[in-house]
Amino acid sequence: MALDFRQTRIELLLRSQNADGGWGYFAGRQSWLEPTCYSLLALHTLEEGKTATERGWKFLRARQRPSGGFSPNALVPDACWATSLCVTLHAVRGEFDAGWKLGVEWLLASEGAEGTWLERAINLVRPLPVEYDRRFKGWPWLPGTSSWVEPTAHAIVALKKVPPHSAISARAQKRIEEAERMLMDRRSTDGGWNYGNRRVLKTNLPSYPETTGIALTGLQGSKRWNLQSAVDAARKEWPQTQSSLAKAWLAIALRNAGDTLPAPEPLAPGNDLMAAALEAMACPQGGHQWLTAG
Amino acid sequence: MADGGLRLTRREFYPVAALAVGAACSRKPRLPLSPPGNSAVFVAKAASYAAELERPIEEGLRACGLDVRGKNVLLKPNLVEFDASTSINTHTAVIAAAFAVFTKVGAATVRIAEGPGHRRDTLFLAEQAGYRHGIAQWEKLFIDLNRDDVSAVRGFAGRGEFFFPNAALDADLIVSLAKMKTHHWAGATLSMKNFFGLVPGAVYGWPKNILHHIGIANSIVALNKTFRKTFAIVDGIVGMEGNGPIQGTPKQSGVLIMGADLPAVDATCCRIMGIDPLQLEYMRLAAELGHIEESRIEQRGENALSVRAPFTLIKEFQHVRLA
Repeated sequence: MALDFRQTRIELLLRSQNADGGWGYFAGRQSWLEPTCYSLLALHTLEEGKTATERGWKFLRARQRPSGGFSPNALVPDACWATSLCVTLHAVRGEFDAGWKLGVEWLLASEGAEGTWLERAINLVRPLPVEYDRRFKGWPWLPGTSSWVEPTAHAIVALKKVPPHSAISARAQKRIEEAERMLMDRRSTDGGWNYGNRRVLKTNLPSYPETTGIALTGLQGSKRWNLQSAVDAARKEWPQTQSSLAKAWLAIALRNAGDTLPAPEPLAPGNDLMAAALEAMACPQGGHQWLTAG
Repeated sequence: MADGGLRLTRREFYPVAALAVGAACSRKPRLPLSPPGNSAVFVAKAASYAAELERPIEEGLRACGLDVRGKNVLLKPNLVEFDASTSINTHTAVIAAAFAVFTKVGAATVRIAEGPGHRRDTLFLAEQAGYRHGIAQWEKLFIDLNRDDVSAVRGFAGRGEFFFPNAALDADLIVSLAKMKTHHWAGATLSMKNFFGLVPGAVYGWPKNILHHIGIANSIVALNKTFRKTFAIVDGIVGMEGNGPIQGTPKQSGVLIMGADLPAVDATCCRIMGIDPLQLEYMRLAAELGHIEESRIEQRGENALSVRAPFTLIKEFQHVRLA
């Protein structure tokens, strides 16, 4: 019998959930917010995942700090970028409660530490070696550090799910607009994105397929930007990359852009639970749809 | 003083004197007090990656008096990105040889671990770099330090708590299997800078931008203060010159440099590369951890002068060129 690509990933996730309700990056290891969020998105609405989902949700909610941000695991106290994934999950589950609102407020208060007035003034006099427009800020991995592509894309997804009638919608829109500008400004000349530097010391830096998929996921639904060449870059990369993570992110982005992709090769999952969750999400109606705008 | 000579008022004298003292200091940087004694650094010639590498590595361990019997050893290569046209990462042959030697000389366990700073898919990156095919039982041996379990350490770079992977904290010895490269921010990336890969991306992101906010030189030294049970083997068989650590060009140097004093190893690498280590900020700060002055380094194996192969430096680092 042919191996069911998505089902094997779902089964792996179900049997690898930790006793605390979270998932590790690998089975039997410490639970982390990031693989837990992707696992919950992959299992969302699946009947067989109902119990696991509720246990995972409790783990996630326990990570919220009084500041509203979420910490990456039970040992690390400081809130981090993965707050975006938690805010997205709240919206996917329709839980626009106090926890969601606190999370959104934390995101709205968080921004990259780069582009201070001094840095911008120096850049005017003598261009800095890392070339980007310092007026546009996105989100950092950790408070107090600079904006990068991946946390920015995830924050945009989370804020695009803020209901348009809510009190914070206008503020969310403002941050989305600026962050989309930031992503477009940091795009590599080959059409995709790397971690967030397009040009350093007058040298163009190449994109990475996984980051291209993530950035496109953040930008999907945008009316302001023509993303055709970025989508074309993703279409070119998807059949070529041998990275399971990159393949999954590209497929998520392309399916959300309306592409119909051929079924993935029937390979068994590896031991990387985050990759397995993303691979499941990348299947038709496998959870990629939870990352679309609105 | 004769007419026409330079006359300074007291108010004018002090700033001029301060500038003169500053200029004098910049010629010969003031270094923190180094540990007592001298340090051994072993230099071996290795013409290519096809050459016999186990023998020189074993000789290096012996020459530096390293005893690993019964210890849990963690080999930490430099795996950053992959580009087939250049020489970014520690070569598979060096890792495989080090693994064989540490196993042979009695280490209880030998694991290989890395946490790349840019790419999320570490296992795929290792595959691209040839590690999976070049090292037997790769999957069983390798730990992704970006996504390992973590524990808190207090006092890193003056911070209350900082998190590190348990694989690194639990090791009895971390071997920095670094690559000999120029670095466009630090001047050079060698055995000490290689410890950036010990910082977990799962906590600090990709890139580990917090280290840049702390300061690259400060972070290099803080990491090497945190991890003291270390040894270095620098892959200088083919290094990288110019716009390193990623976009430079390959540089055939044909050497392996080893030692237990990482600042001494890096200082020796710098001199081989034609860089004055005293001109690199991180090296000056590292003088409190080890020896960077030539007179305090006992050269073993090949004479470092005989293998000197000056690396091309970008214009921002021309001032560090060894006279």
